Amino acid sequence: MNTSKTLLHGTLEALVLKTLSHGVLHGYAIARRIEARTNDALQIEEGSLYPALYRLEARGLVTSEWGTSELGRRAKFYTLTRAGRARLAAEVRAWSAFSAAVTEVLGG
Amino acid sequence: MSRRGRVAPRLLRFGRRVHGWIFRPSAREEVEDEVDFHLSMRVREYTARGMEEGEARRLAEARLGDRGSLSDELEDIAERRNRRADMQLVTDEIRQDISYSWRQLLRNRAFAIAAILTLAVGIGANSAVFSVVSGVLLEPLPYESPEELVTVSTAFPTMGFDEFWLSPPEYHELREWNESFADIGAYRVGAASIETVDRPLRVPSAIATASFFTTLGVRPELGRTFLEEEDRIGGEPVIVISHGLWQRGFAGDAGILGATVRLSGRTATVVGVLPEGFDIDDEGVDVWSPLHALQSIDPSDHVNRRGNHFMNVVARLSDGVTPERVRQDLERMEQRWAEEYGDVHPIDPELHPMFTTDLRTSLLGDVRPTLLLLMGAVSFVLLIACANVANLLLARSEGRSGEIAVRVAMGAGRSRLTRQLLTEGVALAVLGAGLGLLLARWGTEALIGVNPDAVPRVAEIGLDGRVVGFTALVAVATGVLFGLAPLMGATMGRVGSTLKEGGTRSTRGSAGSRARRLLVIAEVALAVVLLVGSGLMLRSVSGLQRVDLGFDAQNVLTMRLSLPAGDYPEPSEVGAFYTELLASVRALPGVVAASATSGLPPVQTLDANDTEFDGVPMTPDGPPHNVDYYTPIDEGYLATLGIGVVEGRAFEPADALAETPVLLVNERLARTFYGEENPVGRRIRPPFGDQWFNVIGVVEDVKQAGIRAPAGTELYFYNPQLAQAGGNVARDMSLVIRTELSPLSLAPAVERIIGELDPALPVADVQTLEQNVARAMAQPRFLALLLGVFAGVALLLAAVGTYGLMAHTVAERNREIGIRMAMGAEPSAVRSLVLRQGAALAGTGLAVGVLGALGLTRFLGAQLYEVGTLDPRTFVAVPLFLGLVALLACWIPARRATRVDPVEALREA
Repeated sequence: MNTSKTLLHGTLEALVLKTLSHGVLHGYAIARRIEARTNDALQIEEGSLYPALYRLEARGLVTSEWGTSELGRRAKFYTLTRAGRARLAAEVRAWSAFSAAVTEVLGG
Repeated sequence: MSRRGRVAPRLLRFGRRVHGWIFRPSAREEVEDEVDFHLSMRVREYTARGMEEGEARRLAEARLGDRGSLSDELEDIAERRNRRADMQLVTDEIRQDISYSWRQLLRNRAFAIAAILTLAVGIGANSAVFSVVSGVLLEPLPYESPEELVTVSTAFPTMGFDEFWLSPPEYHELREWNESFADIGAYRVGAASIETVDRPLRVPSAIATASFFTTLGVRPELGRTFLEEEDRIGGEPVIVISHGLWQRGFAGDAGILGATVRLSGRTATVVGVLPEGFDIDDEGVDVWSPLHALQSIDPSDHVNRRGNHFMNVVARLSDGVTPERVRQDLERMEQRWAEEYGDVHPIDPELHPMFTTDLRTSLLGDVRPTLLLLMGAVSFVLLIACANVANLLLARSEGRSGEIAVRVAMGAGRSRLTRQLLTEGVALAVLGAGLGLLLARWGTEALIGVNPDAVPRVAEIGLDGRVVGFTALVAVATGVLFGLAPLMGATMGRVGSTLKEGGTRSTRGSAGSRARRLLVIAEVALAVVLLVGSGLMLRSVSGLQRVDLGFDAQNVLTMRLSLPAGDYPEPSEVGAFYTELLASVRALPGVVAASATSGLPPVQTLDANDTEFDGVPMTPDGPPHNVDYYTPIDEGYLATLGIGVVEGRAFEPADALAETPVLLVNERLARTFYGEENPVGRRIRPPFGDQWFNVIGVVEDVKQAGIRAPAGTELYFYNPQLAQAGGNVARDMSLVIRTELSPLSLAPAVERIIGELDPALPVADVQTLEQNVARAMAQPRFLALLLGVFAGVALLLAAVGTYGLMAHTVAERNREIGIRMAMGAEPSAVRSLVLRQGAALAGTGLAVGVLGALGLTRFLGAQLYEVGTLDPRTFVAVPLFLGLVALLACWIPARRATRVDPVEALREA
């Protein structure tokens, strides 16, 4: 896989949280959303996506429940929790600060 | 996003709460389902883009990576999360339960206080008694492998001595011939005077063989015990002291080893200090000397010493030796005794048997039944307390059936409710037990403090782990058992009907109220048993107090002295000392009379000396010529204690110098050996010396073997005369001083006189004669006191229980009573309605209790004195009294019933 497309460590979780902030989604939809929003610039490594989701759930940042997908199939849906929302806000602030700093250096 | 998604989490969580862990699908299945879904969506995506299906699947699977390891990882995370969530759920609920229970208890403060106090009293009393029992009966003896230790005793059944000492030859033969014992030691407890750093002390002492210490397996704290060569005639004078004396008398100075101290007028070298708590026979022995060196016992002198029975013998069984084998071994030795010493009362199964007793049994003596009795009594108290708490919880459960029905309807699971009620029960029990333990601690100290003489091994008694464990067990069992009571009344099936009742109390005659009635009946019955027991004990103690002791114990001061042979080698010096001392004491203001005796009544050590009675033939059917007590006394002893002379006269000062020595006999001796004849003028010869003594008088019997036992045969010698004759003067005497003042206030003046005569002479056992008498009654008084306390508590609890039930019944029947009164019922009719119900309840309890007491009081038999176990007075008085108390307990609710306002009652309903 192309290095520019590889996610920085920890960034995947932030992206998942961000994606879920718009609504309840199953795992595949989360992957597709991220791919679509970045115009496939970022390819989700699926071997990492699900462990990330499970860990977020274990930490209480998301919850999951089984429901029926748009196509009538049984699927597991993830919802952002209050704690997850707070965590997302913190991640966004940290990322802004980090990227501003990087931009400052690279841009300067 | 569908609405189902939002509802689902709540449903899922609810499902988890109700069904717990049973219906949750396995984590693995969920993982596989989720991955399958993902793959199929990817395949769908790729085929939509025009990819061929097989190609799409390969690509999708490639993007996912190694499916097996991914599934493993996901399953692992999910499992861990589930476990944590389950734990969280449980701890959350427990926390909720506790805070809910606490709020419940606070809301029903009166109930909570009543329940907690009741439990505290029951548990406290139980733990206190259990502490004593555990310390005395269960705590291992402070010796190595104590279960292997036995005492060896002999007996003379034909003379009525069921447990007797061994003589030195018997001990040595046993030691040489036996095939059962790993080691055997002998000892004898007495008293000694020892000079400590600052003052002389009179302390319990013992002579012991070197093997005594190795048999018990004691390791000295400092130094060593005796060597075999010190335990011989002419051995070095050495002593071993107790840890206590080392601390008390020598400030715990390690330099004590090798130091020379004065012991009863001689010098001895301290070679060892025994560890703290080491003792024998609960005597508090402080000084140990080698037995053979001090007693000058020559083991080869078989004939002359064979009848000299004075040694306590303790032995350690060899590995694997059973009591049966010991008995066979003794039988084998009996043969040898018969062959070798057939002519001088050999050990013989009929006339002079030898036997072993487990050391613990032998040390505890008759305390065991007393303590077990107390255990039984106090467990009754605990039962009553539990019944009372159960009653309270049941009463509450009836009041709570509404609350519980509501909670069930709101979706509380049965298991959750069970846990909730359990938490409440356990919370009560824990609070009650905590308070109870405080009471127990205080109670244990009080028990020992009240009567230290009544209980052996006091040092071993304390609140220990076993006691705490026992208390916790009882408390939790009570909480669990009765905490669940409300569930019995409010089963799930009855929720609807309870709610429909609109919050009225559950119906009369329900399982709950029947249970409550049974509990009150049980309480009353148990209280009857305890009251009867304590009544019998009180009657027997008051009987003991009325026993004619044969002497007047009032206003007499006593103290003990012992003149060491080292400082007073000549018997005449002993005589002179006591004569001078008594003369000075008699001159003290307030002193009416003063004298001295070698054996202070009512408890003396048995002498059992073979004695010759001139002109009284010994017959096979007649009594053996043996006298229980030899008592040297000083001038004026009989008059001082008010002991009457029946025939002849008492000793006079002139008797001291009489050519033929004289003695007095008691009535029992006169009757035993002379029958109807007057013994005055007859001759009696004791086993020491060859002198005949003339009997000059017969005196009234005085108790010597305790208050309950009949007086034994007794010979009185005139100590001033013994002093003149030499040899057998009594050095160890108790002063008896009759005074017009408070006896103890006289003690300092007397001790000052003794100090002036001999500053090195210690004074021991300063007490009034009444105190000495009380000590002889320590055990029955102890038992009577405790049973009295238990019975009082039982009475109180039973009264509270009866009151509670009747008050509850009146409240329950408020409406019915209201209707009756509206229909014109007289208050007296209403009152008698309630009283009748209470009387039926109490009457049943009393009847059951009396039946129980009739069956149980026989366990008191051995403790009673001149009161039958079925004493009619007690069996009539107790139910009458308890019945009155029960009626009183019903009277208050009955009166309340007459004040029911019909209008109010009907409106409430």
